[in-house]
Amino acid sequence: MYYRIIKDDVLKSKGVTLATLLFIVAAAALVASGAALAAQLFGAVDALMEAARTPHFMQMHAGELDRASLERFASLNELVEDYSAGEFLNISGARFSLGSKTLADSVQDNGLWTQKAGMDLLLSLDGEMIRPVDGELYVPLAYLKDGTAALGDEASVAGRRFRVAGFLRDSQMNSPLASSKRFLVSEGDFEALRADGSVEYLISFRLKDPAALGAFEAAYAESGLPANGPTLSYPLFRLINAVSDGLLAALLTLSGALTVCISLLCVRFTLLAKIEEDYREIGVMKAIGLRLATIKRIYLAKYAAMAALGGAAGWGLSLAFRRPLLAGLKQSMGEGAGAGLGPALSALGASLVALSIVCYVSLALGRFRRLSAAEALRFGAPADARAGANRPRLSRSRVLGVNTLLGIKDVWARKRLYAVMAIVMAAATFMAVVPTSLYSTMASPGFSAYMGVGECDLRLGVQQAEDIPARAAAIAEALRADPAVLSSVALTTKALWTTDPSGARIRLKVELGDHRSFPVLYSDGVPPTGPGEIALSAMNAADLRKATGDAMVIYDGSSYRKLRVSGVYGDLTNGGKTAKASFEAPEAEAMWAAAYAKLRDPSRAAEAAERYATAFPYAKASDIGEFVRQTFSATLDSVKTAAYASVAVALAVAALISYLFMRMLIAKDRRPVAIVKALGFSEADLSAQFAVRSILVLAVGVSVGVLAADTLGESLAGAAITSFGAAAFRFTGDPLVTYLAIPAGLVLSSALASYVGARGAGRAAFVDHLKE
Amino acid sequence: MQHIIRAEGLIKTYGGVAARRRVLDGVSVDLGRGEFIAVMGPSGSGKTTLLFALSGMDRPDGGRIEFDGQDLSSLGERALADLRRKRMGFVFQQPSMLKHLNILDNVILAALHDRRGQAARLSAKARSLMEGAGIAELAERDVSQVSGGQLQRAGICRALMNDPLVVFGDEPTGALNSSAAEGVLEMLRKIHAGGTAIALVSHDARVAARAERVLFMRDGAFVAEERLGTFAGTGLEGRVDAVTAHMRALGI
Repeated sequence: MYYRIIKDDVLKSKGVTLATLLFIVAAAALVASGAALAAQLFGAVDALMEAARTPHFMQMHAGELDRASLERFASLNELVEDYSAGEFLNISGARFSLGSKTLADSVQDNGLWTQKAGMDLLLSLDGEMIRPVDGELYVPLAYLKDGTAALGDEASVAGRRFRVAGFLRDSQMNSPLASSKRFLVSEGDFEALRADGSVEYLISFRLKDPAALGAFEAAYAESGLPANGPTLSYPLFRLINAVSDGLLAALLTLSGALTVCISLLCVRFTLLAKIEEDYREIGVMKAIGLRLATIKRIYLAKYAAMAALGGAAGWGLSLAFRRPLLAGLKQSMGEGAGAGLGPALSALGASLVALSIVCYVSLALGRFRRLSAAEALRFGAPADARAGANRPRLSRSRVLGVNTLLGIKDVWARKRLYAVMAIVMAAATFMAVVPTSLYSTMASPGFSAYMGVGECDLRLGVQQAEDIPARAAAIAEALRADPAVLSSVALTTKALWTTDPSGARIRLKVELGDHRSFPVLYSDGVPPTGPGEIALSAMNAADLRKATGDAMVIYDGSSYRKLRVSGVYGDLTNGGKTAKASFEAPEAEAMWAAAYAKLRDPSRAAEAAERYATAFPYAKASDIGEFVRQTFSATLDSVKTAAYASVAVALAVAALISYLFMRMLIAKDRRPVAIVKALGFSEADLSAQFAVRSILVLAVGVSVGVLAADTLGESLAGAAITSFGAAAFRFTGDPLVTYLAIPAGLVLSSALASYVGARGAGRAAFVDHLKE
Repeated sequence: MQHIIRAEGLIKTYGGVAARRRVLDGVSVDLGRGEFIAVMGPSGSGKTTLLFALSGMDRPDGGRIEFDGQDLSSLGERALADLRRKRMGFVFQQPSMLKHLNILDNVILAALHDRRGQAARLSAKARSLMEGAGIAELAERDVSQVSGGQLQRAGICRALMNDPLVVFGDEPTGALNSSAAEGVLEMLRKIHAGGTAIALVSHDARVAARAERVLFMRDGAFVAEERLGTFAGTGLEGRVDAVTAHMRALGI
């Protein structure tokens, strides 16, 4: 019997059933894939870091290294299990050639490394420790993924010839978010090239108890050991490794959840329309004594079948796409312990989706309990709970036509019904506007200000060099003398000291110089202007629990300074923990320096960058547009794809839900429609009334969606951005797109679908409904 | 007599190929200007289908209908709607009101369609009609706050708002108790007395007995006709007896 009922119902509404089924399949596939990816990811990250014996603590250091004190510290500190001080030979990207390509435009710090036994191992794509021989170059996996290099390519580094013998997994620097990339060569090749680059030490420690990392960090900072460079730790490596695939897993699961919501709405509207149509039949079934559970089963049967079919198909799809989905992850990190759980977890995800559909339908069918058999038989479906019969009044109307008034009155009287549709439209608008605005904000030239780089055309960085202040001064002098440069400034970052809220002494990276010329984006306050002021990055302000106006004490290598916090700014560079001040601290050790310049003709930034790269080979010269593009290119591409996909999905959802809503409305309203038609209202009048209702709901929904995107969406996007250290995120998207193109597109797609859905509403045999 | 409606050879079939049923089987009927006719017959005889065809709500499969000299088959959906709104009035078996409008707004609804900005004038006319129907005090009430009989009288007021040439009634007292039904029938008698033509379908001999002419229908065709003359408010029982006798003779 159930088979026949399902078959009849499906044949009667083929299009709607298919659309709903597709959404269930998509939802199940997305959730199942998200679950499989998460299972794979978390196992794989740990497996990789375990196999590579990733350090728990790493200090980068440029300059002289006192190996004896380091040895002493490591042997005396009982937390240390093992340590190493490897040399990273930083070589200009322009001197790397891989096949027909060079790394001249790379914003990464590229360098050579030799394998160290015991810890921080660079692994082959089979997960084995690589042992290169002379003439072999092992290339970071990132350069395979972006198509820069291929196996067997002829390569050269600073004129020395190599062959690309393979690609490597680097548990510290795999991710594009890591700013350095290590190429693995033999000891002999490394020594032969030593004179062609600058050495930076990676001082790494493995601890007996990784939980004691905090205590170890404090002990290292207190010891006065080399610290001229950033500090990194195991949790950060883990986060960096997990973040891109983790985001994808989260995105898949979120999209799945959203698709489940869409499926539920489809189910709701079709089910309600069906109940409206069958109201008398349901009354008859109750009247002849069928039990409520039996009647519910008849209606549940179709959706249970759809949920089971959709869930199974979705799971099947996720299995089919498993290989390409996990390929990138497997390549980066290999197989993890959680991989075996993938199919089971994805089956669980798909089952949850199917179950949610069945539960929802079962809940929705609870309304049968309230249905009175006698009333259903006598009067058919009851009218919706209506309110406001007295507002607005036709009899008091001076201006509006009767169709407009009827449309307004209907929406006013059935606010709850229309609210569902308005919420769908608001959600679709939100879904389309937020990623689009995020993309246009990130793609805008002003975005560098969020990254801790003031709005400029040219950036010259001096890192890992001897006598940083003198070299920075030389660059500053050259910039000042350059007629192509409109304005410039040189800033030197030095390691100073302060205390955290627990009273522990911590190192603070303070960028010293004039911060008024190229200000970054301040979420609060202003740049430091006098010697008594300091500005903190958002992350440092949070860690140190300081706000604008607070006082703090800094040790600058020779004396203690009491400073006032002048402002808090966003910074995505250097781990997001920096500070800015304008005093001088000649005793403090310089970590790095940067010069910024604005050009008279900003379009010639790339050319200027090249000129300065030649003149100052120790400096990393970047045209700022290129700097932002390369640092964020992968993220920007993903956000762009997400933005386009979101707009497409939002348009499709708006159209489908509008269509289904209209069909439900017509099923509900067949009697009032019949009445007004009998009174002499034409189909054009009915279309006008439905159009007024749609326009009202669309206007409210789209306005709420845009407003929510501008407030809540901006905060959400801001939260994502600020987690990397930025502050005071503001959408600076194109208002024409946000406020005109997207809303217009949504309104058009919804209006078209409503029109198609409403077509023939009045053509239905309305005389039959008058007889009811 | 000048005719408002002239219908010839109307045919209407329902159902698929397997279960085709001819509901109107070559029906011909005229309605004179200011005339009052009633159509009687058992359930399924085609009364309501005929009424919907004559009023342009449904199109017959064959035959021809002229309304005030216009061939209905030549009119498009929009023109038919205009005709229904401007020249016809309808009273249904169930009080057919829009539930989110109050009684007054329901009454002026169709009339306001062509008279944007004239709500005040139309409201005054509606109140006057409602006063005549004895329901003036209900104007501002919700549809759910009045009785079925009162709603039906409001429905008649709505039917009269555009001064129609003819009022169609489909079992207008079918859902009312006897006293409410009397009130509605008295209203219809007065409308007819005012010169408006009326075409009713009914099961009820007491309703049909108010008409000048009663047409008896069976299996989609007229089988008899009773001419009763104008009802002036008296002698109803005799007219009812005549209609009943006819029905009995026909086995209806």
